[in-house]
Amino acid sequence: MNKNKEQLLNKRYKAEKRFRLYGKSAIFMALLFLTIFIFKIFSTGYSAFKKTWLIVPVTFDAELMMLEQNPSKEDMKDADYYDIALKSMADLDPNANEDQENELKRMVSYFFEREIKRELLKDPSLIGKTKDVYLTASDDLDQVFKGNYPRDLPEDQRRVTDYQLKIFDQLVEQGKVESKFNLSFFTYPDSREAELAGIASSFMGSIFSILVCLMIAFPVAVLAAIYLEEFAPKNRFTDFIEVNINNLAAVPSIVFGLLGLGILLAVFQLPRSTPLVGGITLSLMTLPTIIIACRASLKAVPPSIREAALAMGASKMQTTMHHTVPLSMPGTLSGTIIGLAQALGETAPLILIGMVAFVNTIPGSPLDPAASLPVQIYIWAESAERGFVEKVSACIMVLLGFLIIMNLFAQIIRHKFEKKWS
Amino acid sequence: MIKISSKNIDVFYGKKQALFNINLDIEENQVTALIGPSGCGKSTFLRCLNRMNDVIDICRVKGQIMINDFDINDKSCDVVRLREKIGMVFQKPNPFPKTIYENISYGPTIHGMAQSKNEMDEIVETSLKKAALWEEVQDRLHEPGTGLSGGQQQRLCIARAISVKPEVILMDEPCSALDPIATAQIEELIDELKKDHTIIIVTHSMAQAARVSQNTGFFHLGELIEHGSTDKIFKNPENKKTQDYITGRFG
Amino acid sequence: MTEAPHTVKSYEEELKNLNSNIIKMGGFCEKSLGNAIQAITTRNSDNAESVIKDDEKIDKFETLIEQQVVNLIALRQPMAIDLRETVTALKISSDLERIGDLAKNISKRTLLLNENLPKNLVDAIIRVSSDVQKQLKSILDAYLERSSAMAINVWESDEQIDDLTNFCMQEVIKYLKENEKNLSDGTHLLFVTKNIERIGDHTTNIAEQVYYLVKGEYLEGDRPKGTEPIVTGEK
Repeated sequence: MNKNKEQLLNKRYKAEKRFRLYGKSAIFMALLFLTIFIFKIFSTGYSAFKKTWLIVPVTFDAELMMLEQNPSKEDMKDADYYDIALKSMADLDPNANEDQENELKRMVSYFFEREIKRELLKDPSLIGKTKDVYLTASDDLDQVFKGNYPRDLPEDQRRVTDYQLKIFDQLVEQGKVESKFNLSFFTYPDSREAELAGIASSFMGSIFSILVCLMIAFPVAVLAAIYLEEFAPKNRFTDFIEVNINNLAAVPSIVFGLLGLGILLAVFQLPRSTPLVGGITLSLMTLPTIIIACRASLKAVPPSIREAALAMGASKMQTTMHHTVPLSMPGTLSGTIIGLAQALGETAPLILIGMVAFVNTIPGSPLDPAASLPVQIYIWAESAERGFVEKVSACIMVLLGFLIIMNLFAQIIRHKFEKKWS
Repeated sequence: MIKISSKNIDVFYGKKQALFNINLDIEENQVTALIGPSGCGKSTFLRCLNRMNDVIDICRVKGQIMINDFDINDKSCDVVRLREKIGMVFQKPNPFPKTIYENISYGPTIHGMAQSKNEMDEIVETSLKKAALWEEVQDRLHEPGTGLSGGQQQRLCIARAISVKPEVILMDEPCSALDPIATAQIEELIDELKKDHTIIIVTHSMAQAARVSQNTGFFHLGELIEHGSTDKIFKNPENKKTQDYITGRFG
Repeated sequence: MTEAPHTVKSYEEELKNLNSNIIKMGGFCEKSLGNAIQAITTRNSDNAESVIKDDEKIDKFETLIEQQVVNLIALRQPMAIDLRETVTALKISSDLERIGDLAKNISKRTLLLNENLPKNLVDAIIRVSSDVQKQLKSILDAYLERSSAMAINVWESDEQIDDLTNFCMQEVIKYLKENEKNLSDGTHLLFVTKNIERIGDHTTNIAEQVYYLVKGEYLEGDRPKGTEPIVTGEK
């Protein structure tokens, strides 16, 4: 008997140990996946924050620029920089034939003339002089310099010619190639050229969408939640509404996209591809999340507080507004932020309402066409060019950072404003 | 003097009847204790007196409750005004998660009882003094009320209840969560308060009912079995059920 | 006990124990009284001595009951019937203790009496004392059975005892007047008679307690009195 008991006890201890082990290994697995994911993203993405520049001597020849004597600022703006830009590139190899000059031109981005122009506008005294100017290297050379480009492929299978490589290597030897922090990734809108593509338009698009979404979803959801939780009679009809709200939270996001497409664009004729439409569509999606979070935190307010207020002679409305709602706000806010974070990562509905369109301007208002960060990831991931691979990861990093900050914010709100009630 | 007179009170929760034909008169400026086993309807009856049962959707109250010759179950009775006249203290201390000052000033604010900051300060002070809490909290009026000890919290709740100068104070097991010292303080307070207020207290402790009340009503299974002066009930109750309950012979 | 049992069994037991101690103590008192009277009538000094010894037991019972009552009040806080039970137990025990004392006093005096007492005197004492004995027995029965009717009966019969006592007193006074030698015996007999009457009074007290215990009310009205006792021998 005693021995049996001992065996049983041992068995129980062993079972517990096993269970702990399962738990630990589950956590280990989760952490492992997360680490692999993050490592992959970072290892491919970090290089996107660097940009390769070619330092090319440029002679600001007034004649080639078609500039008069003593030009005004306006004149300089209207001047033709293409020729001196071309000439500067061609000058890299004095013996180049026409084809090779063309190849030389393609070693830098098509922004090269603008970069030269900017230099002159900064310092008008450069006219007639020669100066080393930083020109954005083409995305392929950028990849070559970062070591991401397979140089040993046969020439007809790569986009960088042997000639370009030869000149590039010469420049590298002369120290005329430099890698600097890629500010333009954050300040440029999207572009077909990987070396010039940035997230400014999609970032702003995301911000505008989230703001629109917040401004619509939050008040509507909070009012709906308060009414349902505190005022609505409990009957079949409200039960029915409650079930439907819960169902709404489970509806696939693409359905909301279709709704936006069918109603906002087709019926109300709102401008396509804009954060306004995106935000409205996202707010439909966020609405049930906030309602559920708000109702849950209203429910969590102890009934004793309500009773106390009612017994003091407060009306239902006063009880709700003075006591229940303020107490539920931390939960509601963090629920809202989590809902917004979800909306921030949403792609499918935005694609449907046209926010996938190529936008190479930075939106200044929710009524301007824009992309959004997840859509930008989608667009870039679809692109063939090698230069976009690292951009996708970099964009994911930005999006993740954004989400982490929002979640952190939610946590802080929850901790800071959560009052303890008896 | 009869302060509250209830006639033929029936209470239903949905289809279930919780109180059966209760007829109970409450004496003015006295403490009336309601005792009885759990689920006997004493709290339900208490909550009829300030219409707190309105909060429960499925609860229906029938019958007459006359306070100052006015039927509070009448349609013309305004619940907000009624609850200004009839304060309530609950089983668990439930101060608002606000400062001590705000806890007291809430009632007078919503009922517009103070015209100025000074007046409000005075109401807060007298309420706290009457609740025998002033000495302990006068230096920390602007600290959260939830930071007080259980007994202090309950006295804060009593102070909050008397801040609007109610005629009647209902207490629903006010000491069940408190230690004996805090309980004694509350009991002493009840004794003081009965000079200005009519008090009805629901309690599970028969000793407490015996200590604090002048009248006692015994409820069982939704019926008022016996009602009379406290010493009579505890020395020589008329009903066998009452005797069995108070001597610990129940069930 | 006719009440339903308590939820707390040990409480129930303590009350039962208290109750049975009163009964036992009452039993001892009954026995003592019986012995004391036997001693007078049969002039048996053994009986008298056993009474004196039994008084110690009775005193111990009183202390025991007092302790039990204090414990019950302190630890159980009895209410209603239990409260009355406890309080009356205390009072009954002190009445019983007095009865024991008085019986002892009778026995002590018995030992000092002459061998030969006039028969009519002894008969008178036997009449009053057997009545008191009956009263004591029936009040103890009333306590045991929780009968208020029996208690009232005892209470009302006190009148008769008073009458018998007066008669007895007159006999003793007569005896005193007969001869100066009778002075010592007569005085003792006066006290014996008075003691028997006092025992009757204590029995009546117990009757009042039993009535209160059962009814929760006090017996109302004055206790019935017999003819005024005659202290002088004048008639």
